[in-house]
Amino acid sequence: MSATNVSENHPPHRIFSPGRIWAISVNTLTELVRLKVFYFLLIFAIALIGSSAFLVRMSFQEQFQVLKDISLGAMSIFSALLTMLATAMMLPKDVEDRTLYTILAKPVPRFEYLLGKLGGVLLLVAIAVIAMSLVFGIALMVRYAQVSADMQAEMAAASPEELQAALLALRAQIFDPALLPAIGLIYLKACIFASVTLFLSTLSSSWIFTVMMAVVVYLIGHMQGEARDYVMTAQEGTWWTRLLFGAIAIIFPDLQLFNLVDDIAVGAAISWGLLWKTVGLGVLYFVIYTAASYFVFAGKEY
Amino acid sequence: MNPNAPTQAAIVIENLSKTFPVPFRREMVRAVKDLSLTVETGQVYGLLGPNGSGKSTTMKIVLGLLRPDTGRTSIFGVDSQSVESRENVGFLPENPYFYRYLTGLETLRFYGRLCRLKGSELEDRCHDLLRLVGLEYARHRRLGGYSKGMLQRIGLAQALVQKPRLLVLDEPTAGVDPAGSREIKDLILQFREKGITILLCSHLLGQVQEICDRVGILHRGKLIREGPLKSLISIEDQTELVLEEASPELLDEIRKLAAARGARILRERRPQATLEEYFLAVTKDDPKP
Repeated sequence: MSATNVSENHPPHRIFSPGRIWAISVNTLTELVRLKVFYFLLIFAIALIGSSAFLVRMSFQEQFQVLKDISLGAMSIFSALLTMLATAMMLPKDVEDRTLYTILAKPVPRFEYLLGKLGGVLLLVAIAVIAMSLVFGIALMVRYAQVSADMQAEMAAASPEELQAALLALRAQIFDPALLPAIGLIYLKACIFASVTLFLSTLSSSWIFTVMMAVVVYLIGHMQGEARDYVMTAQEGTWWTRLLFGAIAIIFPDLQLFNLVDDIAVGAAISWGLLWKTVGLGVLYFVIYTAASYFVFAGKEY
Repeated sequence: MNPNAPTQAAIVIENLSKTFPVPFRREMVRAVKDLSLTVETGQVYGLLGPNGSGKSTTMKIVLGLLRPDTGRTSIFGVDSQSVESRENVGFLPENPYFYRYLTGLETLRFYGRLCRLKGSELEDRCHDLLRLVGLEYARHRRLGGYSKGMLQRIGLAQALVQKPRLLVLDEPTAGVDPAGSREIKDLILQFREKGITILLCSHLLGQVQEICDRVGILHRGKLIREGPLKSLISIEDQTELVLEEASPELLDEIRKLAAARGARILRERRPQATLEEYFLAVTKDDPKP
């Protein structure tokens, strides 16, 4: 073995380096992928295939409606679960294994470390959402093939034009382009949840506590909108209940906003204005919780 | 200030104090009290002390992982609370785990990228370091399958990835077998020869004695002794003489001469090899894990 020479020409220090953030993101993604987190996709696929067994008794329209409901609902829950577990484990594990020391002892600012970690989870969730969308797309195509074959058999006596029109109508109903924004909203909701979970994990030292608190925030986030509207508008609401729900509305993200996905699943027309407003609010939530995470993390001593 | 100035002290600690709150009590524990010391460039400095003496706290403040209550620390003239100071530092924590799903090579690539190394420079550096720490044979093995000694060696390699001028090593041989421990010690001595400054925290006093030029002893957060190792532990009024092939007659004459000149012979004994030397001699043909 022979030792290394002392460096005489270090590159000048850079306050911000996208390369460092990318390195941490890719490393986080690699670590999570090798933890075999994608096995949950098998459960997703089995859930979709299993649900198909119940569809045969329904009408064509009902079949596709239920398939979309189940798929989008499962995507929303699976992406939230994956996000929560992956994010909650990141910081406590690095602290426990002292890998955090080795990273922060390199010329890596704390905000780059945090952004890199978050980036890794967002990449993972993006891959998971794309994979689930593909499984969903395949399930739709398989069902379309079965239903169109049945339709052709039933309409054997109809004219080719009538059959063609019926198939086109069926295809338009199944391959609804509004499904893409719905999938985008599911991803955005997961991103918000990642930033919320990251914020919680900067406050705690145990990932179990972080997961428990994240579940509480998830539930409050899905209920606070209705509760707030009721208290703010009801005559019997006292000043302190209004104050309490006002505070909850400020602290907790309103995840009910993303129920737009359910409306899209039932085929309701959603205006672009409402869609962009929801996306804008989602991005704002993400930025606020990520910034709050940084301010807590920057002040922490390990 | 130019951080690469060759004559600048590697570490300067001035009037450093740090307290920690005791959980669920209104009490504070003083971990470091008014500590001042300087580690000159090229030195191997041993920071010693019992558990809870403030060694790790001092080290973490030097690395910018903790903030001092009062006082300041600098690395090659740059305030060690700034991220920039870490350009010149490599750190090996006690019992590091790293990312167990990465291979040895991937681990070094990761740390290299954090130091903005890329392309062929990064690849060459990773392979050089794997060769240096004797882990080239295990470069594609995941760290989850590494032994304690191998983890310590990959830890040393990651600390060296950006060719730092200062190495901070916290118990670098903790839990490592004697052969691995010897290899790490030899590496540290080689780094010293190449001019790398080393701050070493260790409980293994024999190892510190073998490696360090200068030591500081911390006790309850205070620096109670500090100076060149030789001057601290040498007994000024005694001399050690080791003879080879000395006949009983010669030894008799020496005894008589010493008595005649007023000197006392305190002890006579046959020198012994250390247990470590004996162990390494009998196990040196064992294959690597």
